[in-house]
Amino acid sequence: MIALKTEKLAVGYGRKKIVDCIDFEVGKGQIVCLLGPNGSGKTTILKTIAGLLSPVTGSVFIEGRNINIFDKTVFSRKVGVVLTEKIMPGLMTVFDVVSLGRYPHTGFLGVLKKEDVDAINEAISLVQAENIAKRYFHELSDGERQKTLIARALAQEPDILVLDEPIGHLDVHHRIEVLTILKKLSKNKHITIIMSLHEVDLAIKISDLVVLLNNGKLAAVGSPEDIIDKNTIKSLYGIKHGDYNHILGSTEILPHIFMPQIFVLAGSGMGAPIYRMLAKCGFSISTGVLHQNDIDYCIADSIGAETICERPFELIGEEAFLTAKEKMLLSKHIIDSGYPIGRMNRLNGDLTAEALKLGRSVLSMRSHEESVKLFGQSTDRIEYFDSVVQLVSRLNRQI
Amino acid sequence: MNGFMFGKMRQSGKISKNFILILMLLLILVSVFFMSVGLGSVEIAWHDVLSILVRETVTEILDIFVGSDAMPEVLKTIVGSDVISEVYRSIVLNIRLPRALATIVGGASLAVAGLLLQVFFRNAIVEPFVLGVSSGSTLFVGLILLSGANLGLSYISPAYLFFGAFLGAAAVMLLSVAIAHKVRNVITLLVVGLMIGYIASAATTVLVTFARQEQVRMFVLWTMGSFSGVVWEHVIILIVIAAIALMASFFMSKPLNAFLLGEEYAKSMGVSIKLFRISIIIISSVLSGIVTAIAGPVAFIGLAVPHIARMIFATSDNRVLIPASVLIGAALTGLCDLVARLVLAPAEVPISAVTSFVGAPIVIFLLLKKRNLL
Repeated sequence: MIALKTEKLAVGYGRKKIVDCIDFEVGKGQIVCLLGPNGSGKTTILKTIAGLLSPVTGSVFIEGRNINIFDKTVFSRKVGVVLTEKIMPGLMTVFDVVSLGRYPHTGFLGVLKKEDVDAINEAISLVQAENIAKRYFHELSDGERQKTLIARALAQEPDILVLDEPIGHLDVHHRIEVLTILKKLSKNKHITIIMSLHEVDLAIKISDLVVLLNNGKLAAVGSPEDIIDKNTIKSLYGIKHGDYNHILGSTEILPHIFMPQIFVLAGSGMGAPIYRMLAKCGFSISTGVLHQNDIDYCIADSIGAETICERPFELIGEEAFLTAKEKMLLSKHIIDSGYPIGRMNRLNGDLTAEALKLGRSVLSMRSHEESVKLFGQSTDRIEYFDSVVQLVSRLNRQI
Repeated sequence: MNGFMFGKMRQSGKISKNFILILMLLLILVSVFFMSVGLGSVEIAWHDVLSILVRETVTEILDIFVGSDAMPEVLKTIVGSDVISEVYRSIVLNIRLPRALATIVGGASLAVAGLLLQVFFRNAIVEPFVLGVSSGSTLFVGLILLSGANLGLSYISPAYLFFGAFLGAAAVMLLSVAIAHKVRNVITLLVVGLMIGYIASAATTVLVTFARQEQVRMFVLWTMGSFSGVVWEHVIILIVIAAIALMASFFMSKPLNAFLLGEEYAKSMGVSIKLFRISIIIISSVLSGIVTAIAGPVAFIGLAVPHIARMIFATSDNRVLIPASVLIGAALTGLCDLVARLVLAPAEVPISAVTSFVGAPIVIFLLLKKRNLL
């Protein structure tokens, strides 16, 4: 069943179009995310769907009916909204704010009947806000406020919930909590959810449908698994000075390089924190030899490090080994991240041994005993560190 | 924490608390009323004042229900002798009583007008005259008093001033309504209101510059506001119009509450924004315009009373705040007028001076104490 459909919709303010040619349809109980850079018109589309703005051209249909012909009260029982505007409702408790959502259901003076109170309490329990129901709204944290506003929209008993950046400035705990609530609403109560998000990684994980917006048009519409990859995201947001890894959902900032080159021996995720800290401090990084299925490879690649790699699940070959050795010897410092050494990457251990043999010193995150076991007697040129911070501050001090 | 209708099921204790508060305010209002009628520069004994009031009431009732104002002997012994001097009778019935009623109803009107506009503009320091209503009145009264637009009359009757002030208020109100149709943002409307006020003030200043000294003195006294010299005809008009507008305000309290979340949320809940805007502008302008017509611009009541009501009832529910503002506004204005009359008797202090002395500290206190004002 189609809950919402837009047809040749153009949205904007007055006659000025901000986004044109919007065509998509959403099934009942689906979660839709609008993704796009700031100013791409996500809020404008959401407000148009919620009936707060009139379409410039084209139409929005809810359950097959054009929203223009809805009676105001009937419409507000269909669609509830949560906006980004901060509200200052004065001396009102959470219960009071949520009870305002009963507006389209109550009579002349808004006196609450038993079914209204039941609906309010249900809305409050759906967002798990029972413990704050009696507190004043202005005393709440951002996360609690957001839950209250969602409950208020739910008290309208809508079929469609429109949310503009619902997890905008929330902490990690509340982000997960709010998205979990939305997920439950869609699956258990079959409420259709349309929202804008800036968190691409979370959007992929929660939505059934994503709508990508760029340059005043829909760049793509479809299930996130089909249409989101590294390049769509980079071009969608016009990312130049960083990288977005769509598999890990991690955002990396490309280093502004003004420090000498450091070679990092890594693997199994031991390198990632070192890369990030080195990049933050402006070091140029080269690293290897990494398998292409190693998490360190993904991060190193995203962060723009010079990466010497080997195909997945292959023993490190001669060619990669020699390239890595050359890069290592050209670098100002060599770091052993303390990665585990097994059959596949045994040659990485040989790189360290080689460096020590040639009289280079190595900064290591490994323990002393382990190093002796791995590299034999010539370990007196290894400096040991317990943490990445110590290691990098040692580098900074020297330079 | 809740209004008597928010969360009704849950909080019956709250209802009785609000009920007691309303009852107490009513009691205060009644005593302010009797003080207003009983006190003044001419000393009249309390039992005489009461006797005059009761006699008059009984006579009126008899007149209506029996068709004769001849009072039976039994009643005469109950309500007291009729030997009280005619002068006292006249002072109480024709000077103090209409004035007491005018201050009470006027104060209630200003307080509610202020409340409506504070919610409408989502701004805690808005008062009934932000839309330029009083400036319009002042300009029209200025035209009458200063420019010689007095139809060649040497004596300017209060009825003429009343009519002029009301016309000025209505003109500005219609202008605001016309603008409210055009603009999207309420803040724009607020700024436009301020600008209309400035233009009207500028025009008034020009009038003052070219007016004669004694005219200016009369005009300045009018602008300072006073309930002195109100006549029954005007009080009746005030009561009728204010009663209608106050009822209308109370009926707006559901959309007003929705507006506490801002215009967009209100719209999403089905409030018709245009209709709501126009209604608020008309009701608040009528309330403040009618008071200005009678007493001139009375300062601070409309700003301070809604805050006092919020503090006493600890809620933003307008279904509570409207009746509360009516009672507090009435009592406070009555009290301020009493002070204005008595403190330097037989001379009178302009009522705005008294309301500002009382109102400004209250607002400062509230600002310092509570950050959440609406």
